Amino acid sequence: MARPVPVAPPLPATAEPSLMVVGVDYQSAPLELREKVALSTAETEELLRSCKEHPELGEIYLLSTCNRTEAYLLPREKERAFRRAMELTFRKAPEIETGGHFFVHHDREAARRLMAVAAGLESMVLGEPEILGQVKHAAELAEAVGSSGVVVKRLARASVRAGGRARAETAINAGAISFGYAIVDVARQIFSRLERHSVLILGAGEMAATAARPLLEKGVLRLRFANRDPARARAFLEELPAAEHVPFDQRYAALADSDVLVAATAAGDPVIRPVETEQAMRRRPGTPLLAVDLGVPRNVDPAVGRVENVFLHDLDSLQQLVDRNLARRRAEIPRVQEIVGEELRCFLAWYQGLRAEPMVARLQRQGETIRRRELEAARGRFPPEVHEDLEKLSRALVRKLLHHPSQQLRTSGDADHLARIELARQLFQLGDEGEEER
Amino acid sequence: MDRLLAYAPLVLLLAYALVVGCYGLLFFGGRRDAGRVATPALLTTLALHLAYLVAITWYWGQFPIAAVWQVLTAVAFAIALIYAFLEWLGRERSTGFWLLAQVLLFQLLAVGLSAAEPAQRETFGNPLFGIHVSFALLGYAAFAVAASYGFLFLRLYSELKRRRFTLFYGKLPPLQVLERMMNGALAVGLAALTVALLDGMLWASLLGKPGWWRDPMILLTFATWALYGGALVLRRLHRWQGRQTALASLTGLGVIVTSLLVAGVLFTGFHRVL
Repeated sequence: MARPVPVAPPLPATAEPSLMVVGVDYQSAPLELREKVALSTAETEELLRSCKEHPELGEIYLLSTCNRTEAYLLPREKERAFRRAMELTFRKAPEIETGGHFFVHHDREAARRLMAVAAGLESMVLGEPEILGQVKHAAELAEAVGSSGVVVKRLARASVRAGGRARAETAINAGAISFGYAIVDVARQIFSRLERHSVLILGAGEMAATAARPLLEKGVLRLRFANRDPARARAFLEELPAAEHVPFDQRYAALADSDVLVAATAAGDPVIRPVETEQAMRRRPGTPLLAVDLGVPRNVDPAVGRVENVFLHDLDSLQQLVDRNLARRRAEIPRVQEIVGEELRCFLAWYQGLRAEPMVARLQRQGETIRRRELEAARGRFPPEVHEDLEKLSRALVRKLLHHPSQQLRTSGDADHLARIELARQLFQLGDEGEEER
Repeated sequence: MDRLLAYAPLVLLLAYALVVGCYGLLFFGGRRDAGRVATPALLTTLALHLAYLVAITWYWGQFPIAAVWQVLTAVAFAIALIYAFLEWLGRERSTGFWLLAQVLLFQLLAVGLSAAEPAQRETFGNPLFGIHVSFALLGYAAFAVAASYGFLFLRLYSELKRRRFTLFYGKLPPLQVLERMMNGALAVGLAALTVALLDGMLWASLLGKPGWWRDPMILLTFATWALYGGALVLRRLHRWQGRQTALASLTGLGVIVTSLLVAGVLFTGFHRVL
């Protein structure tokens, strides 16, 4: 027996898409729940494919990162879709639903949510850059699987644009907000290009690795480390194979051709002293040295900070920088919200244009405009007695040419309706709702 | 033409105000979109300013140095020109506000004083005079730019040394870039001053003025030239760090301003400037 064809939802009669987002993030659920429902790319793809088996879900887009798993839907039947989305997305952690660790947003709030996520407003680390790539990747995946349709695709594109604009037009991602990146930040305020500079790290523990990772990521010319414990040195090299090891007692020789020094040892006394530093500085005239002391107790004698052209920073100053950058990012929130608002308005205007009647009206207006323009241009070439016939003929032509497309646009009830309206808009270059007035 | 030339300084003032506004938005507000507008706006304003200088040279039939307002607008143009060159050289816009705010100030003074009619002298039309004054102005403007970069360098250096992250941190380019721009301005200034000195010596010998080199202004100019030349050589040889060069560029500007005032007010040599 043939499976019954699902009844299509009524076409959007309202000005807003009936979007829905169901999800968990770091604000709604603890890590132990989030990790249960986090999805790899392969798992996301598989879940999207299984969602396609459930027509009530309509269009679907899944975003899963370490801090969130969110399903964006354009459901065909809201209540059933909600139940199905909860069941599929949180099947590995039903306690999310029972404990109320999830959130649901509808319509414009759902659209706003994805834009705010892409802009970094919903991230644990405000303005973090990775999320924008993740939103984009998730959109590509949904498109490849075929789970996203014209509305969700457009929403994802608008969200990526909002995220890009937020980063380009505001300082939402400006300045480092972790110790590792704060070192990069200070180094960038001294050296013109980090790729031309060498780094020396004293120590091979977790702090040393925390400092080394961002420096390597930013492509420093050379990263060496010196420590006393061979086992730790091996572990450090395993984690960061690009690093080079130098014996600890040769640290001053290495310092002479390094531009950034990070001291993160467990030594009880300073391991970098001013006299030796001055000697090292004399061997590298004209080039500044950034010395960062991450040790507690301190690894670098504070007097080193008085040596000409040496900039000594420690945990306190890095913390001060991180706090300042965070405050700057928070101050940018209203501007980013404005951008999200603008993109949301554009998205909603586009969506309004998907309604059949206004689209048909615009199509006919466009036809009439072209008819009049062409008639006006041609009128002079014909004797006045045929002008009325020309008028009638052109009207009939336009009416007949637009009759079938208009009827097709008005035919609702099938799943391809929105896609057809969007296609018509592109083919006839009809623009968004309100654009003509603007 | 009269009316056009009368309003031009005001138009230039407004154009520079717009340019400074764009660079200010970039520096204080982090507005990269304003930054993208800033450079084309500056180049357009520079083109307008150059056209204005050419027009007043043609209109008065002499180089625009015969009245204080003419000197001021020429200095404003020279500073803006050198800044535009350094911005292009360093691909760095974030210092624009600090440099072009000075340009705006000079142009404002020029507008305020522009009612005075320039003196008419045969000397002002002499090409050797034109070259001499143009290069001297360019040189001094470059030293003013170098001093500005020196000031910014020292501010940032001090913030980094004292581990205080205030206004300048994160908004200015790195210390090495500031130093490179400062050294670039010093090199331009030294080259321009060298041309001005050589041209002046040639002109003085053609005029047959005995003992011209004893003129206080010329002696002070030689001293300035030696100071900046020495600073550049010492930096080149790595005997000096960026901080010392920055201090020297600030000191040098102080010496220039003092020498111009002292030589202009106290001495009555043939080389009166103001």
